[in-house]
Amino acid sequence: MKFRIIFYFSVLFFSLVSCIDIFDDLTVHNDGTGTYKYSVNLSASKLKINSILALDSLDGKKIPSIIEIQDEINRVEKLFKEKDGIKNVSIETDFVNFLFKFQCDFDSLSTLESAVKSILKSENWVKNIEDLTPTWFDQNENKFSRIIPDITIKRGRELNPTEIDLLSAGKYRSITRFDRKIEKFENETAMLNPDKTAIALQTNIYSLINNSKLLENTIYLSPIKQQK
Amino acid sequence: MKFLKLLLVSFLFFNVWSQESEDFIPKEAVSVFSINNVALLQKVSLDELVQYEFMTELQTELFDGSTNGKTLKDSGIDFDKKLNVFYGKSGEFEVSGFTFGISDKTKLFNVFDDFDKQESNIEGAEFYTSLQNHLVIKGNVAVLMRVEPLQSTVKDYADSVWLARGYEFPNYYDDEYFEDEGAIISDEEAVLLEEEFDADELDSLIYIEDEPLDEVFPTATENPNVKNYNEFKDSILVMYQMQFLNQISNELFIENISLKSVDQKFAEQLTHKAEGVFYLDNSKNLRNTQNFWYFQSIFPHLYNEIDELYSGNVITGDLFFQENSIDFKLEANYGEALGSIYEKLNKSKLDKSILKYIHESSAFHFTYNVNLREAYEQSFKVVVPILEKQKDPRVSSTLLTLELLNDFVNKDALFGTYTGTMFGTFNGIKKVKTKKIEYQYDETTFEYTEQEVEGEEEMPLFTFGISTDREDIPEKILKHISGLTSKLKNHGKYWKFENALLESVPLYFINRNGLFIVTNDENLAINNYDGYADEAISGKEAKKIKKGGFIYAHVDWTKMIDKFPREMFQPKQLEVMDAIRSKTGTMELTSGKVNRTETNFELKYSMNEKSGNSAKHILDIINSVYVLSK
Repeated sequence: MKFRIIFYFSVLFFSLVSCIDIFDDLTVHNDGTGTYKYSVNLSASKLKINSILALDSLDGKKIPSIIEIQDEINRVEKLFKEKDGIKNVSIETDFVNFLFKFQCDFDSLSTLESAVKSILKSENWVKNIEDLTPTWFDQNENKFSRIIPDITIKRGRELNPTEIDLLSAGKYRSITRFDRKIEKFENETAMLNPDKTAIALQTNIYSLINNSKLLENTIYLSPIKQQK
Repeated sequence: MKFLKLLLVSFLFFNVWSQESEDFIPKEAVSVFSINNVALLQKVSLDELVQYEFMTELQTELFDGSTNGKTLKDSGIDFDKKLNVFYGKSGEFEVSGFTFGISDKTKLFNVFDDFDKQESNIEGAEFYTSLQNHLVIKGNVAVLMRVEPLQSTVKDYADSVWLARGYEFPNYYDDEYFEDEGAIISDEEAVLLEEEFDADELDSLIYIEDEPLDEVFPTATENPNVKNYNEFKDSILVMYQMQFLNQISNELFIENISLKSVDQKFAEQLTHKAEGVFYLDNSKNLRNTQNFWYFQSIFPHLYNEIDELYSGNVITGDLFFQENSIDFKLEANYGEALGSIYEKLNKSKLDKSILKYIHESSAFHFTYNVNLREAYEQSFKVVVPILEKQKDPRVSSTLLTLELLNDFVNKDALFGTYTGTMFGTFNGIKKVKTKKIEYQYDETTFEYTEQEVEGEEEMPLFTFGISTDREDIPEKILKHISGLTSKLKNHGKYWKFENALLESVPLYFINRNGLFIVTNDENLAINNYDGYADEAISGKEAKKIKKGGFIYAHVDWTKMIDKFPREMFQPKQLEVMDAIRSKTGTMELTSGKVNRTETNFELKYSMNEKSGNSAKHILDIINSVYVLSK
């Protein structure tokens, strides 16, 4: 139940707090293991967040205290730690600057995906379970595809031009790293690093809210070199 | 002889038909708002009123969705009589409702079409009921009321009877509450209980302490001949509702006991030639509030003394729609004992040095000016004798503590630190500098680093200050805190506390000129620590503050609207704000002289637009907001 309150609170934040900086960083090794990092930076709106946190409720929803938020984060961290194939889980929180960083190692992309999905399901975070049906990460030998789950926030009201401007200033950066070179990719807005082992996609939060497909990509990798 | 008969008949006729809507307000009423339709409709006629667009919706609601061209004028309500809204509470029930005049009973039932006629035991009074609402008509006056027994009254009775009959006590909080079909009471037995119902028997029934039981409570049964606890409690509720409704009706319609007949203050208030009058009996609130029950049972004598202290604590008000303003005049009445404290409290002189710290563009400011020292001394004189009379050891030790503190505490230092003048201002919203974290990405490796950069956010600017004769005391405290944290630093003319507000914005302390001021307005602390000089409020406004009594507040709604950043509002809200911008005005709260029995306050809303009709002005604003927000 508390988790749901925190979720409502997050939605409320995203509705009211305009300047958000998010990045995810996925490293996939040749053996299928890897590291996933997810970071949310709300420091540009810390005054507004503190003002919201000072309230008891907003729009009829209870505003949790920092202690409650931290407790819930700890609980979610524990849920991840209990998942098979997920290791070295950490969630760093900074309630002064409102920075939240999640990191974990995984045995395979499918274990990461099923861990996240099972938590979303068990905590009743998603309204439609069908929304979780599509595969987020798809990898066969030399081809890797990822989609961004359609978690577009359903807004109860229209955004005014100022909010649109501010949300447009917020960034979402998605990075995918490999042990081998990337030969080609399908999303034309993606950017390769000079040694072609990492690819980055960036968009603004407003665009992402309206179209989660902006960060989808299919990447073709060079074959794994056989050890002699 | 014939003339005498005619006179007698005329007298009787007059007596029956002269009853006014305000004669039927129950004596339990704690608050009443009485609208003088006659005076009000002189300002805005009924014809003008029904033409407002927002009235269409109201009228549709009134006539159950289908007006067929009907307006408020077809509601059968007599607008030559007052409309009174009341809320009241006794130790056993709450009562709320309206009383109003009737011009046409047939038309009235177009509005109250879901009310069914009930049998009446009171001659001349007709009873109609719809669910929990009761409409009582006597002559050409109607009372629409709802009587709700207090939950505690119903529960105590239901529990005591239920337990006395040998049934298990319900376990309210058990999740399995509805799973067991244990204890049930037969319908016949319930009927018997209803028949023998008499609240006077309450005391004779044995009350059993709440105990958590292993036995779970039964669910509603399909057998109509048995009742479970909840159904039984509902029966008790209905019986109490009937009992209290009868009690109120008997008093109002047979014994002629109403608030007007028992409360002279209220009766006098009704004679005022105002568009609306307001009445609030705080002493009843003290008596009826559930919070004091514990206090009442533990310290009954002390409770009685406090009750006496608060007797006559009534607030009355008059609402006047003047040409270009709306005036709300309030009179706070109290007993002499409390009055003696208030009198001393208000025996004070405004510290004029605060005036230079109120900026001329301030959208809101208030001043509060009291003599704490004299009020303290007087309170001591009033409270100590009350406590001395009590025999309870707990009260006695409280008294000893009070007396020792009075002897040991340095009152010169205490009351010198805050000499009694206080002020506050709101100067709108300003962009303030904050620190934020930015991710810097390395475009070669796609790794990132965190960097602290300066950002800007909006923050309301406020200033709050008190007068002091002992600048050394706040200075001592600030000095001590600065030794504990590097965030607080003395900058000579002011102190600055970094990241004090919401972990982002600094707070400034100005401790000079006999004032201790706290503000987040950098401009005031750094550039205007001795006041705004020429930019301070005008001499005219300063004069108003000085004359405003012990409390004064001023809100300029036009400035308020201008000072809030437009990005805080939705387009629709902005549209409404822009539409009413020119129609807003200023609001001013002032207090008059304080004496041993009453204090007067006046709240005045002055319109910018000189329309010459404030009632119409308010209706125009309501209509604009309604039309724009549709």
